[in-house]
Amino acid sequence: MQLWHSVLQLSLLVFTAAPTAAASAWGFADATVSVHTKGAGVGAGFKETIPDNKALSKPVSLGSTDTLKVSLTARDGSSATRAHQVFLFLQDPETGLDISYPFNVKDNGKSKVELTQKDLPVQFLSVSEPLDARFLIGSFGSSEAYNGAAFKLAVTRNPDHPVPTVEVSRYGKLPEIHHIFKDGPSSPPIVITLTFVAMVLAALPILAGVWITLGANVCHLPKAFKSSPISHAVFLGSLLSIEGIFFLYYKSWTLFQILPAVAAVGTVAFISGSRALGEVQGRRLDGSR
Amino acid sequence: MRWSLSLLLFGFLAVVHALSSSGNRLLVVLEDAAEKDSFSKFWSDLEARGYDLVFESPKSDKLSLFEHGEKAYDHVLLLPPRSKGFGPSLSPKNIIEFMNKDGNVLLALSGKSTTPSAVSSLLLELDFHLSSDRSSIVVDHFNYDTLSATEKHDVLLLQQPGQLRQDTKSFFGGSGVLAFPRASPHTLGGSNPLLTPILRAPTTAYSYNPKEDAASVEDVVATGSQLAVVSAMQARNSARFTLLGSVESLQDAWFDATIKAPGDGKETETANREFAKQLTAWTFKETGVLKVGKIEHHLAQDGDLASVELNPKIYRIKNETVFSIEVSEYNYDQYVPFEVPENDALQLEFTMLSPFHRLDLQPSGKTENSTIYSAKFTVPDQHGIFSFRVNYKRPFLTNIEEKHEVTVRHYAHNEYPRSWKITGGWVWIAGLWSVVGGFLAFVVVWLYSAPTSAAPTTKKTQ
Repeated sequence: MQLWHSVLQLSLLVFTAAPTAAASAWGFADATVSVHTKGAGVGAGFKETIPDNKALSKPVSLGSTDTLKVSLTARDGSSATRAHQVFLFLQDPETGLDISYPFNVKDNGKSKVELTQKDLPVQFLSVSEPLDARFLIGSFGSSEAYNGAAFKLAVTRNPDHPVPTVEVSRYGKLPEIHHIFKDGPSSPPIVITLTFVAMVLAALPILAGVWITLGANVCHLPKAFKSSPISHAVFLGSLLSIEGIFFLYYKSWTLFQILPAVAAVGTVAFISGSRALGEVQGRRLDGSR
Repeated sequence: MRWSLSLLLFGFLAVVHALSSSGNRLLVVLEDAAEKDSFSKFWSDLEARGYDLVFESPKSDKLSLFEHGEKAYDHVLLLPPRSKGFGPSLSPKNIIEFMNKDGNVLLALSGKSTTPSAVSSLLLELDFHLSSDRSSIVVDHFNYDTLSATEKHDVLLLQQPGQLRQDTKSFFGGSGVLAFPRASPHTLGGSNPLLTPILRAPTTAYSYNPKEDAASVEDVVATGSQLAVVSAMQARNSARFTLLGSVESLQDAWFDATIKAPGDGKETETANREFAKQLTAWTFKETGVLKVGKIEHHLAQDGDLASVELNPKIYRIKNETVFSIEVSEYNYDQYVPFEVPENDALQLEFTMLSPFHRLDLQPSGKTENSTIYSAKFTVPDQHGIFSFRVNYKRPFLTNIEEKHEVTVRHYAHNEYPRSWKITGGWVWIAGLWSVVGGFLAFVVVWLYSAPTSAAPTTKKTQ
């Protein structure tokens, strides 16, 4: 009975001891995190104890003049020992950018690290979310290394100071550019145009009216055509054709098309005009003008 | 007999099908000939892909990268030297000169021995930084091979890399695990866009000098993913330089070795052989090589394009223009149609000093081994000498830099709208013709007007 009991005890012991022996793991104890503000008195500021192998629930905030101090004792299983790697690991949860700060480690496993904003990479100064801070404790040999969350580190900045930025050139897609065209020429509203066109064209009837009230007439027309019909008809015709040629020039003709035409019609107008004007002179000498 | 011989020859040709796009002469610089056998699988893989391997010792007198002023090899593979450096024929200056002549270099380092300062200065010239003691190795207590490095943790286990960025092509992808025994880490210069990390160390890794017998590291140069294990530099002429931190990863022993990660990881085989293939293929220009085919631009026109003049020298402002470019990509043994990676774009710039238009080119057609990308746009309302530019520089892809100059002229005098089409001009046109009409009326009145009865009285007063 007693033997049976001791065998049971022994097997229980083996069962519970076996996993711990195989998976001796790194961890930490006596971890504290504190923030000292420059100029503040001793004892002022933030100080918290991090539970063993667990994370601090409160976020830690680090101002621009503050110093963050973290201390812990690295433990292999339950004994405090010196580890090869005792790092405070910071990571930006958005971009995944990471950096580690090694602790100062003493022989008895006591380790501490101090950190100010100047030690942080500039990319960490402009993050919106708090950084993830983790402890990395590991060393050579078979003990399982420790990688666990420690606390959240919020980097607070004076809003008056500009956030430093880094610009690096990387090959990649550039923003699209679409040329902005100048505004095309535009005309005034058609109503205004038509009003002014009407005013301009009204000049002709007004002129005719003024002439008529002053006594202008075409009474000598039959007389003139009776005395020299050809020269008058050709002269008036050539004047009309010169205006017609100008109209064609405006519409479609080129300069070299109108020059010979104008020269020909001009000569006709000159010759017929001198005859026609001779007839007009005759009328004046006659006393009827 | 002859028939069987030709069949044999055919079979041989079929085996040696893959060839680099830039030649197959590969120089392997190996100091210790005895070491050659430990890489036998690596050599046979390279030979199977069509490379002519030439093994030379850096101490050899006849070793020279150049012959008659031209490069004597297309690619160089440098294994870590035992002595102080690679010797005078492989000085940093010669290697840079070799790259200037479009040669590709793969340099492997080893954390087993101190890297010579000559190699370090070559790397510095390319903006790769080794730690100042040049003998650090990268160690990670979370990702090491528990089978072969139980105590020292110096066999780094890494997943095959994925995409570098959201908009790059993955040439080194896969789902296997890679083992890097005694890897020598390096950091990259931050401001250099020619550098790209291929494989970074895990975030929990750090580098230390195994010769320093410190019980804990308190002074580290870089940690975590700041450390790179494999990186590449592609020069402006698209010559490639790859730095591999661990030469041992290419050894037969680590091709298909069995590894086990700490924790409750399963035993798996390494993917080193596949990664070595991907890495050498990329470095020696079997992958990621772009070639530009036909480039065309012309006036946009609906329907039949036969009557359109191709690549005219001159355009008018506000012309609708179509630009198209044919791009193919070399993939191991042939050119295939190039696909722009997701989130990236092949862009066309229409520039005079600075771009007036920068447009994403869209795929508009495909041939057997190329994709045609095109864009349609309106020429800006600014005359001058413009150029169509395609400047496509991306990590892991060879550079495309195309520039085609055209003149952009103003409207000719007969290309403007006629004056009667401009409503604002109607007032002036009406004025002109009313003067013409008035003149004709005046002539008629002057010629044929009879004096009124009032006229003689005025005459009399005169």
